[in-house]
Amino acid sequence: MTIGAERYGTRADTVVFLVCLVLSLVALALPEALRTPLAAGLRRTVLLPAVAVESQAASSREHRQNILALRAQRDSLALAATQVPELQAENAQLRALLQLRGRLATGFVTAEVLHQAGLTDGLTLLLSAGRDEGIVPLSPVVSPNGLLGMVMAVDVHTSVVMAWTHPDFRVSAMVRGGKIFGVVASRRGETAGEVMELRGVAYRDSLPPGTPVVTSGLGGVFPRGIPLGTVQGMLSESAGWERTYLLRPAAHPAQASHVLVLSASVAGEEMEPAFDTMPGRSDTATAEAPSVRR
Amino acid sequence: MKPAAPRLKLAAVVLVLVAAHFALRPRLFPSRFAPDFVLVALLFFAIRSRPGAGAVAGFLVGLLTDAVAPTTFGATAIALTIVGYAAGWLKAVVFADNLLVTAVFVFAASWVRDLLELVASNALRSGSLGTQLLLQSPASALSTAAAAVVALLLFRGWLRSAPAL
Repeated sequence: MTIGAERYGTRADTVVFLVCLVLSLVALALPEALRTPLAAGLRRTVLLPAVAVESQAASSREHRQNILALRAQRDSLALAATQVPELQAENAQLRALLQLRGRLATGFVTAEVLHQAGLTDGLTLLLSAGRDEGIVPLSPVVSPNGLLGMVMAVDVHTSVVMAWTHPDFRVSAMVRGGKIFGVVASRRGETAGEVMELRGVAYRDSLPPGTPVVTSGLGGVFPRGIPLGTVQGMLSESAGWERTYLLRPAAHPAQASHVLVLSASVAGEEMEPAFDTMPGRSDTATAEAPSVRR
Repeated sequence: MKPAAPRLKLAAVVLVLVAAHFALRPRLFPSRFAPDFVLVALLFFAIRSRPGAGAVAGFLVGLLTDAVAPTTFGATAIALTIVGYAAGWLKAVVFADNLLVTAVFVFAASWVRDLLELVASNALRSGSLGTQLLLQSPASALSTAAAAVVALLLFRGWLRSAPAL
């Protein structure tokens, strides 16, 4: 069946189309100060039920996955039950050795990532926790593998995260040990959004591939020691001035399903020990830093 | 049958698709290549409407989509306004209840939406643009087209009788 072959667009349709197009362009050109409250207003009103349903669906999926994981763990634990005393003793020794102080025992909020269908999912993330859960703007957002981004807008029960893949994102970084500093941003160009680059490394410092790079804590937003990535190689250098390195990210926003939003109370703390003991940490990130030539 | 009944059926189908987008999609599908049920709903509406109504619907859906991913607020609105208008205009050559034509139409609309959004947002460049348009967007468009075919199979009777708005 051919629908409405007799109903091509009229002049009124064209006018309506042009008006919508102009309004879209106006929205695109809005300054940040107007754009953010407008988007927040839509999320708080029209989109509130939709976001709530999506949040519940994401929780449901996670619970289902958790049940499967718990069943597997239960079976494994049943088999390992006979070794519990030995494991406890070993665990205590390891904790003592690592001087683990449980830095993430408090000072964070858990949230699900509500992935969207648009192309820009991964540049910004919508989280299922907001002001009522204690999230404030500029809070760092991490996964067990490393830094994902920071909160840029907060609603009552949702928040928007600017991921490190966002073109405007920057974070002060350092090589483990705090000897070499730089600024990490997403790599623009051929592999935009998939890898990072470490800029502003002093020309006298040379970083071999595999060197772990973490947040430096400078600026007071991100705590020191959150994994960012590992050096893959040098991208460019300005003779006698600075070098830029390519980093493989420790955590990718598009793959995150569950995140931790750190509170301001941990902004001044050293996070490296916490990430060293977190499960799921990649081998490359936990590996000992190769020697750095100066 | 009352004249309003077919319109109500179309509205019901659109509502079911929108509900599936928020309730079903996060449970069943991986995020990156998940079908975009809202785009399917928009196209089902636009293809049975006047081009102006399709443009308005596209603008509103795009604006709301931009609100939950405000990287480039307005880019999705531009893309969906054009897609909605074009879908309403192209209905003269589209066999709306033919499965294959619907699948191709939705696939093309999804890909064009991505292309327009990329151009409007200027978020990606050069090599990554090619990867997005040649690999990721087609995969996403394929799943959206499949969702459209399933929806058409489920609601074919209701959609066939839907008149122009």
